[in-house]
Amino acid sequence: MPQKVLYWKGCMSRFRTRSIADSIERLLNLLNVDYTTLGEDEGCCGSVLYRTGQTADALLVSKRTLERLSSLGVKEVVTGCPGCFRTMSLDYANFFRNVPFKVRHISQFLFDMRDELRDHLRPMKAKVVYHDPCHLGRHMGVYEEPRALIKMIPEVDLLEFKYNRNKALCCGSGGGVRSAFPEVSLEVAKSTLLELPEGTEIVVTACPFCKYNFVEGNNKKVEVIDLPELILRACGG
Amino acid sequence: MSDEWFSSKKEEFMRWLYDENRRRGLSRAVSSYTAARDYALSCLPHLEKTRKEVRKIKESAVEQMDELRKIASERITESHGNAYFARDADEARKIFLELVGNGKTVVKSKSLVTEEIHLNEALQRNGNRVFETDLGEFIIQIRGEKPTHIINPSVHVPKEEVAETFSKLVGREVKPDIPELVGVAREYLRDKFCKADVGITGANVVAASTGTLFIIENEGNARFVSNAPPVHICITGIEKIVPTLEDAFKVVQVLPPYATGILMSAYVSMITSPSRTADIEKTLVYGAHGPKELHVIFLDNGRSRMLRDPIMKEALYCLRCGGCMYECPVYRVLGGSFGHNYFGGIGIIWSAFTAGEEKVAAAIDACTKCGRCKEVCPLEIDVPKMIECLKSRLVEKGYLADKHRIIKENIMKRGNPFGE
Ligand code: SF4
Repeated sequence: MPQKVLYWKGCMSRFRTRSIADSIERLLNLLNVDYTTLGEDEGCCGSVLYRTGQTADALLVSKRTLERLSSLGVKEVVTGCPGCFRTMSLDYANFFRNVPFKVRHISQFLFDMRDELRDHLRPMKAKVVYHDPCHLGRHMGVYEEPRALIKMIPEVDLLEFKYNRNKALCCGSGGGVRSAFPEVSLEVAKSTLLELPEGTEIVVTACPFCKYNFVEGNNKKVEVIDLPELILRACGG
Repeated sequence: MSDEWFSSKKEEFMRWLYDENRRRGLSRAVSSYTAARDYALSCLPHLEKTRKEVRKIKESAVEQMDELRKIASERITESHGNAYFARDADEARKIFLELVGNGKTVVKSKSLVTEEIHLNEALQRNGNRVFETDLGEFIIQIRGEKPTHIINPSVHVPKEEVAETFSKLVGREVKPDIPELVGVAREYLRDKFCKADVGITGANVVAASTGTLFIIENEGNARFVSNAPPVHICITGIEKIVPTLEDAFKVVQVLPPYATGILMSAYVSMITSPSRTADIEKTLVYGAHGPKELHVIFLDNGRSRMLRDPIMKEALYCLRCGGCMYECPVYRVLGGSFGHNYFGGIGIIWSAFTAGEEKVAAAIDACTKCGRCKEVCPLEIDVPKMIECLKSRLVEKGYLADKHRIIKENIMKRGNPFGE
């Protein structure tokens, strides 16, 4: 399958935020992308282990994953999870010599296919605000592609947090905090949502961890969805 | 290993998390800080260049920390001051106790280094009366609490509680009116300054080539403390020394806007020697209107170890502006419980070296590695990188949260953290 793109779902979207994975697959089909997934055998990129200081185990797991993908001949990985995205690009490059594939976040992938995507987008009247996920923004420098995609949807009004891009606040779930101190994680989510600009109807994230935590910390006044979910909705899905 | 290290921190977190008063105090401080800092920075566009120069200055200064400390000490001694080197907290306390003795009245201006070496407790045990004179420190001293922010130590105490505390102190009702509260502290501390035997301060930066101490402040208390009593003792970390006055002035420009959101602090004291006069017959006499004695203690206490650590070395550049704390999404909800003797991400690194890694083993698990601190730091210090490295070392020593261990086992067994 050397020509095919591998859609790497990531554990959150496989088990907790399945609708993100479903939306991405439907978008890939809509755009006639020749892709594959690893299904039940996807395994782990190592991100959570790296971020919780379990470096030796992280190396073990990520090396196995890297070898598996290499032997499958994967050349291109697309993922909706900024944690996987960061780990498979930055950490793999840092720890291993040969990484035979390139990794893109779904926002970059969709942005690169914007000409194909444009025809599918229908108007959507909504005031949305985009939250920069830490791993996608500050860690990987991806700030503009998600915004460009949102702005491509006719009639969508894109608002900004007062602190955005490299100064964006945090959803509170990164770094293993959600598992170690769930209460802290939730309070951080709530305090970030306090900063929502006036009139926000939808908070758009581009990370399953952010989505999950914002849904939990949400006071029900706004809708929280992930970028591929928003795009799919705009495509009439 | 028992999980005391984790559960006790968790309890402390919960006390902060659900204490509405503290959270209110904190969030008021955060919003006034960020607004003021943004305005200050917009007024001082050249600071973009200066802060980068300061980074360069610190990069090379910490490499010669030992050398600079020797030069500074020589200069201080030449100008009739006394310089000391304390390898650790214990040595520093001994020097203090010898200099201060017992039965003395001591006034202090804010210094986190004295907090680091537990100075107040040691002085009090020796029968001395110690008065904190920085308003924030004063408030928490009489409340019997610990500082929770390096610049604004009482950031978690809202005015209503300050009023209560002050009412008890002066034995009459004080209203939660901020100017009135400030007035109470002013009145109470006024004669302490003049009657004190010893004044203790820290220093924000030291210029080695002249042995000059810089103390930056807004209240004017550090001026009193370093000037009114007959003896001034200053303690500072060896990483605060830069080669020249010119270098020090650059640091002085960067600190105030990032620390408190002002263009320049109300007062910058530069102290190079004890007070002196030769006005009568050209005969030099020490102790004219200022102190007769100046003692400067340079503290290592883990700093050289930091320097030898290629990843953690960067922490030595920290100016202690405290900006990253206000900007930290986790500090905003956990305040002073997020750290140990220093706070926030950078504080976790500093606490690890000055108090012991195990002291922050649990606090570090509250860091989301969001990376915001690095973006707002005037010196762009890569705190997240250091945090990740420290966490990894702690895990090797066995400090692994139960939940994180289960996640690992699930990944190893089932290929995903949920074990499903
Ligand atoms: S790390 Fe940077 S922002 Fe934080 S206190 Fe130090 S100098 Fe200031």
